[in-house]
Amino acid sequence: MDEPTDAAVIAASLDDPASFAPIFDRHAATLLRFLVRRVGPDAADGLVGDTFRVAFERRGSYDLDRPFARPWLYGIATNLLARHRRAEARRLSALSRLAGRAAAGAPEQAAAPAEAAVERLDAQDRWPTVASAIADLPPGERDTLLLYAWEDLSYGDIAQALGIPVGTVRSRLNRARTRLRAGCEPGGPRSEQPSTPTEDRGRIGP
Amino acid sequence: MSDDLDPLRRVRPDRLQPDDPLDPAVLAEQRERLMSAIDQTVNPETGRRTPSIYPRIAYRDEAAALEFLTRAFGFREWRESRMENPTGMLAWLEVGDGVVMIGRAGPEHHDLSSPADLGGANTCMVNVYVDDVDTHHARAAAEGARIVMPLEDMFWGDRRYEALDLEGHRWHFGERLSHVRERLGGRG
Repeated sequence: MDEPTDAAVIAASLDDPASFAPIFDRHAATLLRFLVRRVGPDAADGLVGDTFRVAFERRGSYDLDRPFARPWLYGIATNLLARHRRAEARRLSALSRLAGRAAAGAPEQAAAPAEAAVERLDAQDRWPTVASAIADLPPGERDTLLLYAWEDLSYGDIAQALGIPVGTVRSRLNRARTRLRAGCEPGGPRSEQPSTPTEDRGRIGP
Repeated sequence: MSDDLDPLRRVRPDRLQPDDPLDPAVLAEQRERLMSAIDQTVNPETGRRTPSIYPRIAYRDEAAALEFLTRAFGFREWRESRMENPTGMLAWLEVGDGVVMIGRAGPEHHDLSSPADLGGANTCMVNVYVDDVDTHHARAAAEGARIVMPLEDMFWGDRRYEALDLEGHRWHFGERLSHVRERLGGRG
């Protein structure tokens, strides 16, 4: 590995600010995709620039023991999203409509190929409600849940990104899933199921 | 990974409907802005030059004001200078060789008020020279600015109009009549 780690790049940029550029080059496309998912392309374009500008300004407080900077950048981007809740709400309601059409229309395209057909049908019925249930979550739970389910960040990475303990990541995810279940299947059998940490560890390890 | 969150994973927007592929120009532009912001940090003298005097204008909703001023009046934001934090945003808007700064109104923000807090009262007006006041006027009116003085040629040699923005700040836009005549090829 000849490439310096993100931490090494950030450390070098403390003395030579212009050497910060590789942080953008390595992660900007991923962060832009994340922001487009959350608020749509119009707001995302400027936000991705803001994310890296803030990152540059705060590089002095980066934890140099962490070689990979992406969770840190996700955290900065997530904080910036707080000022764009309206764009996010619009994006989610568009998503809900889109999910409604996808459920009614072209199922093969969107579903994971390995899914069993029965399970797929069951899941598709719930798409529009899942999408609108996300919109109803408290922002902290939504941020945590979407970093986990859409961005595939581990519990540890989410904890680093949001500056919260891993236990809080776990409890936010639990609460969010409970709300999602309640929102998607009111009165359904699964909404009665208690969600305990033990049960969760078994089902979705970090 | 497969669990009860799979329906949520499937509604990830780009899985339901792939977005247009990332436009490399977007990233290139943002990269350039980042590098210019970094350059400004390092060499302040190569950065933007703020004039020796410039106003700070206060709004209840400075984000909406920023959007309006750029859309209706054509001001250009120094995007890399914007400062956002939970208690408000500061933005710098370039107009020709001038700059205005906009921020939030309130006791904790230099005790500045918006006309919207004062029953519409103003304590100052900002005068702006533009390149083509006819087009500027048409655009401002179409974008919802309230025109409070019509577009007119004035005895002191300007064509001007005045408009209120979203919260009632009063803006005076003018163009030298000599410039108007030049622009219109002697027909003005």
